[in-house]
Amino acid sequence: MSADNSWQKLAAAARKAPPVKADESAPYGFSTRVAALAFEQQPAANNAFARYSLRAAAFACALALGAVAANYTAIKGAFSDDGAAPAADDPIAEVVDLGT
Amino acid sequence: MADDEPFDLAGCLERVRRRDQLAARELVEHLHPLVIRIVRSHLPRRVLEEDLAQEIFLKMFTRVDQYKGEVPFTHWVSRIAVTTCIDHLRAQKRRPEMRMADLSETEAEVLGNVITNENDVSPDDAVEARELVHKLLGQLKPEDRMVIQYLDLEQKSLAEIRQITGWNQTLIKVRAFRARRKLQRFYQELTEKEKR
Repeated sequence: MSADNSWQKLAAAARKAPPVKADESAPYGFSTRVAALAFEQQPAANNAFARYSLRAAAFACALALGAVAANYTAIKGAFSDDGAAPAADDPIAEVVDLGT
Repeated sequence: MADDEPFDLAGCLERVRRRDQLAARELVEHLHPLVIRIVRSHLPRRVLEEDLAQEIFLKMFTRVDQYKGEVPFTHWVSRIAVTTCIDHLRAQKRRPEMRMADLSETEAEVLGNVITNENDVSPDDAVEARELVHKLLGQLKPEDRMVIQYLDLEQKSLAEIRQITGWNQTLIKVRAFRARRKLQRFYQELTEKEKR
């Protein structure tokens, strides 16, 4: 007799065994305890804090972008100055100019 | 909640998301039979079924906001139950290799009766056979054990197993094939050692 056949026979015999426990309803107090633990694990304050933190971060980003837009010309000017201006303030250049 | 009223799962979920404790209790009561059936089928040794069921429900509540309704809620919960049971089964040490000598006198006798006797099995032999089956299944990987449990002991269809576990049918077939081969090997080793 093959091992597979033996396994099938053993499984068929096992299926005939009565269920160990028939009652599938929740034990007394189980649902109350689980519900209490579930909400204790995820306090509402934490969720609210997380939500408001995200909103605050988004608001801060918007403010930063607004500030950049408002001062765009000044920022652009700071980066696009030609080489002459720094040379005018350059003490070495001034000394060299005096010598010539 | 009256027993004859159909359970409003969608409404209950909505209330649970608004952190209504009464709704959470109703949801636990409603889903307990489903969860406890899975737990009892795949209960690891030395773990209390109530503790495991509680862990599953707590995971369900933690993730309830992630449920998008792509699958029925009961399938979603049974997948949480299945993965939790598998995690526990993985954590426990696999049973050491079984030998014929490890079987009790009754178990060895029952094994002989069940295999050689074509007639009906007595209720006592059936109970012993179930114990023996669980010992053999304890030597398999948790996922393989689960597939064999559903297919050969609970006689569920591939579609039903797919709904419960979330595994596709090819994966279920592969796991069943692999598990049956291992069971054959265990069984051969068990009987060969007896013959020596």
